[in-house]
Amino acid sequence: MPVPAYTFLLLSGALFTMGAIGFLVRRNPLVVFMCIELMLNAVNLAFAAVSRYLNSLDGVVFAFLVITVAAAEVVVGIAIIVQVYRAGRQMDVDGLDLMKE
Amino acid sequence: MVVGFAIVAAWELVTAAGVIGFRRPIYNALALVGNMLGLAVLFLMLNAQFLFAAQVIVYAGAVMVLFVFIIALMNPVSDVTLGPARGSEWIYGIVFGVIFAALLGVLLVNQGLTGRPGPFTPEVINAVGNVQSVGTALYTRFLFPVEVTSVLLLIAAVGAVYLAMRRIR
Repeated sequence: MPVPAYTFLLLSGALFTMGAIGFLVRRNPLVVFMCIELMLNAVNLAFAAVSRYLNSLDGVVFAFLVITVAAAEVVVGIAIIVQVYRAGRQMDVDGLDLMKE
Repeated sequence: MVVGFAIVAAWELVTAAGVIGFRRPIYNALALVGNMLGLAVLFLMLNAQFLFAAQVIVYAGAVMVLFVFIIALMNPVSDVTLGPARGSEWIYGIVFGVIFAALLGVLLVNQGLTGRPGPFTPEVINAVGNVQSVGTALYTRFLFPVEVTSVLLLIAAVGAVYLAMRRIR
């Protein structure tokens, strides 16, 4: 008995929700980044599931592009976090308001 | 198939809870590694072997090694030493959770996929080979997005090097 498509979409939605909640609740910038990765992964799961159940390859290609963009995003984001750390600022997303001034 | 899916789904939810629940960043990172490996197994179940390999190599490999490396390098403070969480953060989180739970409820009521099925059934893909069929799609129909993504990767690499060289006050 095959797994119905909507269970994959439900799991994807649940993972995305947990990532979004973590993004809002956590305060360490690195953990906030991990929650963004969690959300991107959830979207990839939805792409792959829809692609499989509609007999198409577009979702797989999209998920691959999402993985690529996420890798680029992580590189730049971690470089910024390391810069903030080297500047001796407190590692708290609420305290990072350099761009306000 | 259903039993395997249930096991992996439970694993995904538990590790996702670990990502947002643990107080020390290194545990968060390890939970995220487990989450990504479980997701790779789900890709295998969905007949997306190429995505499975990309997920393991790029996410569970490169990205998470970068995370763990940075955590080991910086030894960042955990949320415990940042003091107690403010109430407003939890309010935002709960509101967002309720909204998305409602969306998931809509999904439960409306279970069908309405899109028009394409020609790529698993038999067709497996006859050609998964990597070959994805590669053909990447370099014919999706050539322009692939090129744009490659430029984005180049920009990211240049930006990371620039940020690494520059010292902010």
